[in-house]
Amino acid sequence: MITATNVSRWYGQVIGVNDINCEIGPGITALLGMNGAGKTTLIRLITGQLRPTTGDLRVFGLEPFANPDVYRRMGYCPEIDNFYEHYTGRDFVRYLARLDGMSASVGNARTDEVIDMVGMSERANRKIAGYSKGMRQRIKLAQAMLHNPDLILLDEPLNGLDPVGRREFMDLLGGLADQGKAILVSSHILFEVEQMTRSLLLLHRGRLLATGDLGVIRSLIDTHPHQIRIETDEPRRAAALLAELPNIVSMKFDRSGDAVQLEVREPAAFYDALAAAVLEKGLTIRGFSSPDNNLESVFKYLVEA
Amino acid sequence: MASPIADLTYRNYDGPLEPPINRWWAIAKLSMKLSTKKKGFWAWSTLSAFWYIILLIFFYFTETVVSNVGAVGQKASPINNLIWKDQFLNAFGESQLFLFILALLMGAGTIANDNRAKALLVYLSKPCSKLDYVIGKWLGIFVPMTIVTAVPALIFYMYCLMSYRSAGFWTQDPWLIVRLLGMILIPGTLYSSITLAISSMFQQGRLAGGVFAGVYFISYFITLAMEGAYVSMSMGGSNPPGIVKGLFYCSVDGLQAAMAKIILHTNGSPKLPIPGGAKFQVPEPSTFIFVPAFFGVCALSLLIAWSQIRAVEVVR
Amino acid sequence: MSVATIQNLVVRYGNFTALNGLSCEISEGCTGLLGPNGAGKTTLIKTILGFIKPTSGTATVLGYDIEAAGTAIRQKVGLMPEQDCHIPGTTAVQFVAYAGELAGMPGDQAIRRAHEVLDYCGLGEARYRNVETYSTGMKQRIKLAQALVHGPKLLLLDEPTNGLDPAGREEMLELVRSVSHGKGLSVIVSSHLLPDIERVCDRVVVVMQGQLRAQGTIKDLKKIEGRPVDIELRDPSPAFVTAMQAQGAVVMPPKRTTYRIQLPGLPEEVAKIAMQVARDSGAQVRGFVIAERSLEDAFLEAISAK
Repeated sequence: MITATNVSRWYGQVIGVNDINCEIGPGITALLGMNGAGKTTLIRLITGQLRPTTGDLRVFGLEPFANPDVYRRMGYCPEIDNFYEHYTGRDFVRYLARLDGMSASVGNARTDEVIDMVGMSERANRKIAGYSKGMRQRIKLAQAMLHNPDLILLDEPLNGLDPVGRREFMDLLGGLADQGKAILVSSHILFEVEQMTRSLLLLHRGRLLATGDLGVIRSLIDTHPHQIRIETDEPRRAAALLAELPNIVSMKFDRSGDAVQLEVREPAAFYDALAAAVLEKGLTIRGFSSPDNNLESVFKYLVEA
Repeated sequence: MASPIADLTYRNYDGPLEPPINRWWAIAKLSMKLSTKKKGFWAWSTLSAFWYIILLIFFYFTETVVSNVGAVGQKASPINNLIWKDQFLNAFGESQLFLFILALLMGAGTIANDNRAKALLVYLSKPCSKLDYVIGKWLGIFVPMTIVTAVPALIFYMYCLMSYRSAGFWTQDPWLIVRLLGMILIPGTLYSSITLAISSMFQQGRLAGGVFAGVYFISYFITLAMEGAYVSMSMGGSNPPGIVKGLFYCSVDGLQAAMAKIILHTNGSPKLPIPGGAKFQVPEPSTFIFVPAFFGVCALSLLIAWSQIRAVEVVR
Repeated sequence: MSVATIQNLVVRYGNFTALNGLSCEISEGCTGLLGPNGAGKTTLIKTILGFIKPTSGTATVLGYDIEAAGTAIRQKVGLMPEQDCHIPGTTAVQFVAYAGELAGMPGDQAIRRAHEVLDYCGLGEARYRNVETYSTGMKQRIKLAQALVHGPKLLLLDEPTNGLDPAGREEMLELVRSVSHGKGLSVIVSSHLLPDIERVCDRVVVVMQGQLRAQGTIKDLKKIEGRPVDIELRDPSPAFVTAMQAQGAVVMPPKRTTYRIQLPGLPEEVAKIAMQVARDSGAQVRGFVIAERSLEDAFLEAISAK
């Protein structure tokens, strides 16, 4: 739905995004990066608030900058919360529905629908000034879904939501993704992202650092071998049995003496060897796991590399 | 035993602590530090003394002319005809606009900016109370304002005491220094109270400043209008009614002028030596109305500030 | 020793009851304060500091009664508020030193200590810049610095990782963890991000609708009855499931490629069976751990219980 070819954007001397090439399709895609990595610039480019300085950006095959045909199919939930504070949540959404070009009756019906979707029905008649951060986020999401867009961009949507709200929100987004909509979510909170999607777009200092599926990305990081921790009562014996394997890079014993930590390349071969050690050599283990097989470690490895 | 490698990780503070009584002083100190860092503070403070400088220039020329002409004699020198305390009153009146600007500079943002930056969370989560906060903020304006008023007045007083005893400086009113010390406290007291009240009602220093300026100038127009009415009536030979005299003092400036006249115990005299000019001066107001009014305004302002300052916003 | 004891605390704002008979005990170390929005977490923190007078009930903090000894409590408690806050027009050093002076430190000591705390909070040369120009991460650091400057015995952190990027969040959590362990400083952290709580806290208190819902160590809350195990496979494998079920195991619906399996016996034995079964059914075991609930699940269960 979104295709970027060599897209760059700078502000005076400051670079926002630098030479981005990517494609974003249906489903949830997470947009990750540190502060100042260019996430917001990229979102602004896609939402047509900025024009790329160089390169070609297409949304639904069209250029998004100042192009209402694109806006009609796109919903946007910005990070900042600037509202008409004296409006009620419902009035605010209804007003935006009218701006979307809906008639009063359609607008009202649609407003009630989206407000119900974000679970704000009971609280929508209060003034926005008195809303908590979580309630504001819900209203922002509600207005992004008003015109039933095919593409929704959310900038830090889960900020300020409590765990209950966060789970509801994720379920809602999951439901939208299942309907075939494309959702681009930027977030700082990696474990949240991990619960939502495995499809990433990682920006670092304006450059696109990684894109694609988390598992694939992890297996391609060669500089950091997989860490595997084996809990066992006989760590030294486990080490002796496994040390013969050619793809083990390092071994370390826990101080407590009941675990051994390994660094392994080519994990597939290692896991078979481990199974063999347990089943044929009678090694007893209590458990094993790979502590760096998650988004947080992948992010760290990529950004620090 | 001290280890050869110092432990630079977090450690607790176990140094000395001041008693909890003087927390307001820390607050006042910072307020003053921040005010005196502004260039405007020094510029406007200097300008506020300009009438004293004009007076000194006037004295210098008069003396030069008198000594040159010589024959005219001491008696005719205009210096001998001066009412000394009215010179202080006039200088005070002239400095009022500048003191107002200083108050605007120091006071308008004092609480409003704290509101914007949510600084009260810092203040009140430390062991200091709302009273400490109000006293500290009040003193933070009062002290510099009073010093700015006092320094030129006292220098001028010393100069005159040295030079013009022969012209009646001491004999006219031996208690002048005490009265002056009273007068000096006026702007600090009033401005720090009013600005605290106005500042506490806003989230932005500029807004508070705008409102303060509005209050000042609108009330100042009353004073101007009444002065015009008073002068034209006096010129017409009629005695202006009490309401005109009263309203003349009903402004931020007027209230201070009233207090100054009451403390100096004078009706004032014209700034230029116009013959018969004294009758165009609005006379000293009633002590029993304006002293309570002055302190009433201050107290009311502090009350407003007190009620506006809250540690927490109550969200329902 | 407990740092705070709260008994039947009721706080009302007009008609709205924010805390409704809350009783809990907060012990030394690092405690997480959890609850959905509007549960009364912030109210509890504000009541502990004496900003809000309780309608009824009692509470003692570090041995002081909250109604009688507000100043004494605030002398020994540091607050890092949720909102961005600073003293307008100051640099970070001035700000933190000033916060120290407000707590009664003499001016010269305050400056020295401010530098020490800022070093500790990892704020470098930027400390000589006006606070208003700071980024979110730096603002969080000075908020922590001003809360620590007077050497409190109890630190209250309200959403300390709000708005931080992954690296900033990591550093902040590391900071909180290091001050709260072995420095004689107890910490109460309120946060919506449960993995953060899990990283730094030993215990949690769950509050909802102004009442206590659960309290205890995180370890206890995460424990699951029957000691099931989580087995991660490389690829989803229905054959593995059927084979495990044939072994008498209860298999719960998988999450991606992780299967939760309950089988009697020691984990060592279960591991062996699982590996055998996996090999026979052509699957590869990639992880084998004793299953725990996530803190999130435990939390959601605690607040949905009636």
